[in-house]
Parts: sequence; C-alpha cells; structure tokens
Amino acid sequence: MKFIGKENFAAFTNSLSKKYEIFYPTKVNEQQYEWFKLEDGKEISLEGFRTVLPAKYFFYSPRENLVEKTKKQTIIFGLRGCDIRGLELLKRIYLEEPKDPYFRTDILIFSADCTTFHTDCFCTILGDKPFAEEGFDLNFSCLEDGFLVEVGSDRGKEVLDSHSTLFEEATDIQKKAVIDKRTKVEEELKKQSSGKVLDLQNLKEKIEKNRAVFEEYGKNCVSCSSCTNICPGCFCFLLCEGEENKIRYSDSCQFKGYAKVAGGANPRKNLFPRFANRVYCKFLYRPEAQGLRGCTGCGRCISGCQGKINFREVLLKIQA
Amino acid sequence: MDPYKGIKAEILDIIDETPTIKTFVLRPEKEFSFSTGQFIQFAVPKVGESPFTPSSSPLEKKKFEVTIMRVGRVTESIHNLRRGDVVEVRGPLGKGYPLNEFEKKEVLILGGGVGMAPLRSLLLTLLHEKQKYNRIVLLYGARTPADIVYKNEFSEWAKNGAEIYRSVDKGDDKWKEKVGVVTTLFEDVKLNPNNGVAIVCGPPIMMKFGTLKLLEIGYKPENIYLSMEKNMSCGIGKCGHCGLGKYFVCKDGPVFKYSQIMDIEGIWE
Repeated sequence: MKFIGKENFAAFTNSLSKKYEIFYPTKVNEQQYEWFKLEDGKEISLEGFRTVLPAKYFFYSPRENLVEKTKKQTIIFGLRGCDIRGLELLKRIYLEEPKDPYFRTDILIFSADCTTFHTDCFCTILGDKPFAEEGFDLNFSCLEDGFLVEVGSDRGKEVLDSHSTLFEEATDIQKKAVIDKRTKVEEELKKQSSGKVLDLQNLKEKIEKNRAVFEEYGKNCVSCSSCTNICPGCFCFLLCEGEENKIRYSDSCQFKGYAKVAGGANPRKNLFPRFANRVYCKFLYRPEAQGLRGCTGCGRCISGCQGKINFREVLLKIQA
Repeated sequence: MDPYKGIKAEILDIIDETPTIKTFVLRPEKEFSFSTGQFIQFAVPKVGESPFTPSSSPLEKKKFEVTIMRVGRVTESIHNLRRGDVVEVRGPLGKGYPLNEFEKKEVLILGGGVGMAPLRSLLLTLLHEKQKYNRIVLLYGARTPADIVYKNEFSEWAKNGAEIYRSVDKGDDKWKEKVGVVTTLFEDVKLNPNNGVAIVCGPPIMMKFGTLKLLEIGYKPENIYLSMEKNMSCGIGKCGHCGLGKYFVCKDGPVFKYSQIMDIEGIWE
C-alpha cells in the first residue's frame, strides 16, 4: 500500500499525460459527474460518485466499425466499484473464446472509492460496496492530503514503479483513515436504502411469486432503452454489414424487435416480458451462466428512466 | 483472428425446392469443415447476414448447401442471388448434434417444412454410418405436396436405410400418403422410446406439439433434441440476441435437449 501527496499526484498525472490519453470524472453539478479528457493545466479530483455514463464505452463503442484502429494508450481514472463490477461481466462475455478483438484490454484502470453517492445509488442492497476490491490496475482512496494507492495488477505496479519517487509507503494511520472513510460512506449509503438488503439466494422464487410487480412498474416503461444504454452491465449489440467489416450497434432487450426471429415469431413482443427480462437477465441468467450479476447497483437506470421507474423499488418490492 | 470476418463463398448452383424455398450450393474459398447441426452466418455483402444450418453432409469438404426460405429482407436478397455471385460465410458456429449419444439407439427424426434443412444434413450423416444406429426413422410433414423440400431425395434415403413416413396438412389428387399434421404420423409407426432418441426441427408450433407428442408416447426429456430458432446476430455468444434463459443459443446450442430448456418460459414462441 502506497501513499501519494496531492502535489505529487499532480506531477504523477502530468507525467502520465505525456504518454497516455487520460479520462477522469468531473463534477458538472450536484447530481452529475461526467467524463473529461485531461488537458494541460487541469487537475484530477477523485472525490464524488459514479459518472452519468458508465466507463464501459471506453472499452467498446456504442456504434463501431469493426476494423483495426490506431489506439492511443489510455488511462481511466475514477471508475467506481460499480463500473468495475460491470466491466468484469463484460470481460467474461467479450473475452470468452472466440475473443472479441475490438474490446479493449489495453486500457489502464485506475479506480477510486466513492466519497459521496448519488440519490439513486443502491449497491449496498445487493451486498456490494461503494469501492472496488479487485478488477483495477491501481485504486485510489482519497485522504485529506493525498491518496492511498493499492496495486491491483502487474501493469499497475509498473506504472507505480516508474514514478516511485512520487510515492511513499502508506502509514497505518493512513490505512485506518481509508477504512474509516469507506465504512462511513457505506453506512450512509445503507441508510439511504433504509438498511434494506436483497436476499439474492431466494430471488428466483420471489420473482415467480411477485410477477405482478413487473406489470405495476412496467406499465410506465416506454421502451426507450435509456436503462440498458447507461447500464455498466448491459452488453447487447446488433451486428450489421458495413463497408469493410461489420458494424456493431448497441442494442437493447427493451426494444420490441430485439428478440424477433425470421418469420415474425417474437417471444417478447409484449411490454411486460421485456421489462421483466432485464431483471431475469441481470439477477438469474448472468449469475447462472457467467457467475456474475448483471446489476451493480449504480442506479443509473433510475436516473435515466423516461418513465420515472425506480428499479431499486422494483427489486425491493419483488422481495416484499 | 477476427470472428466477425467471414470467408468468401461462390454460389455454384441454386435449386428451387418450393415457391418460397431455395437450396444454394456454395463453394467456400478455403476448406470449410463443420459438424452436422452446427450453423453458419450467411452474409450478402452490404445487405445483411442471417444464420442457417447447412443442409448437406459434413463429409463433403469442397462445397456445402444451405436451404433458405424467403421470409424477410435478408432472405429476399439471398433469393435474388444468381449462380456465380459471391457471398460471405462465418462459421461453423455453435454445437452440432451429439452423434455419439445416438449410437446403438433408435433415431427418430421429426421434421416440418423448411426445418428439414438441418435434419437432411443429420440424416445423410447417420446414413453414412447406419450400422452404428439401431434404426433410422424420419417423420416429415409439410403444408402441401408442393411445400415438400428435397422432393427427389426421399426415395434415395429410403433405399439407403431410412424408414420414411410423410404427411401434408392438405393433399391433392396425386398425394397418396398421409394427410394431417405431422404428429398424426405417430399412428402409423411403432417406436421404441425406451431406447430411442428423437430429433426435432420445424416451425415453433410443430416443435411444440411434436415434443408434447414425444413425451406422451414415452420419450424422456433428455432424449429429445430440439433445434432452437433464435435471431443469432454475432453467432459467438456476445451480442445477447439469441438469449434463451441463461443460454446463448448460438454458443450453447443451437441444438438443445428438451430437459435443458423445458423450464424456460416461452420457448415455443
């Protein structure tokens, strides 16, 4: 565990920016953080919570010509625990053999603990935490005068070693301060969800018993696909013919035509099965097939919903 | 290796099967091996791509055939292709029929309409080594005699050792065989579900009632093999389109045992 002071951190990012394209979250208003590209003279703050758009679109594009591109070496700072968990699922799918050669694996992931949270965040009801424990190259935990830095990979260690003069060994006091801070944010986030926790083990039975919930909430769904587009765990796309090779477009199981087959048969032509499919996919199918949940509790689908559907409520009501 | 890039294939011949179904004989630019039941993605460059299961025997290495019904935009453009045109194919994709599970068993093939395409490939494969199987029975149904695919091949298959029973929903003056839906053929054939497997492919409604009939006469869910039609887009288990419960049909199928999918809702839709 290392520590880097604020001034050294500025020198660190400044040095990295000579070699890498760097993206980081920036607060645009009280409820919104967005990704910015680091430019000269700008400083990176890692305070705050998840961005409006998930980090997944750095790794593949929502509309992409599948041809070889010149890739700039890239670092993303400030991915939160939810983004990391979403990426882990995407990696299991895109990088399973045969690998998708267009899904980027070269990007350095420098995650950061949440220091606050959005009113829609609900990772704690899934038993998740507002910080990452794995899946990063380096993780940064904000302290008053700098950051505690955890190494998560050899790639991360290399970057750290190449700037070793800027880092020092973390003290026990600093380590404890991070634990305290993490605990405090987690406890406050739990309070936001009134301390509720989903019983994920028995969710399948609950879903079968409480299907009426899908109709109650699904009736406000307008099939706009906001929820799937901004979900860090949604991965679906449609492959189309392009000029040189295929073109990949993000797709959504919320669209009426998504599951339609030749001849017109469509298992999810109706709204409610489509609405329910998101929950099934994220909480039943992906854990069974990929061993990971498709929902990370980031609450972006709540923030983005055109029908004002609160998915946290949907989940808690299924359990009720 | 780019799994999204296909190889070129030239159309050597086009056979009219029915007014809406054609068989395309393709010569891929390089040798192309597949197991019977695996599928390919067939692309008309710049137009679109659709999944089909080759209908020819996998033993033929230089060329293969796909039988395609005109039902939508892509198949319409495929039907407009001519001899000598060049298309793109990706694959083979998915898992084929588990032939080893059929050995020393009575193999029942239940097909409907254009669903005979993958079953023809299977049948040719089985007949090639027919001594491995106790018995090979084909039950095939089509809407009318004109809708029957591979019209001239049934007698050849029978000669090579397949027991064949056919029905049409609506006959004509010349039709001397069964009239009725394909499941009515079960009245005419004595089967041995205890040591048999059944392989089904056809339109969803026929798959449903075919499977129900098989269960009724004693086939176990794990001995019924279904070719599941889904709208495979990437074909390699990434794009999500062919999701069937926890499975991606393109990589976990397209052939499933009924026991694998019987608890998933809406499998016949």
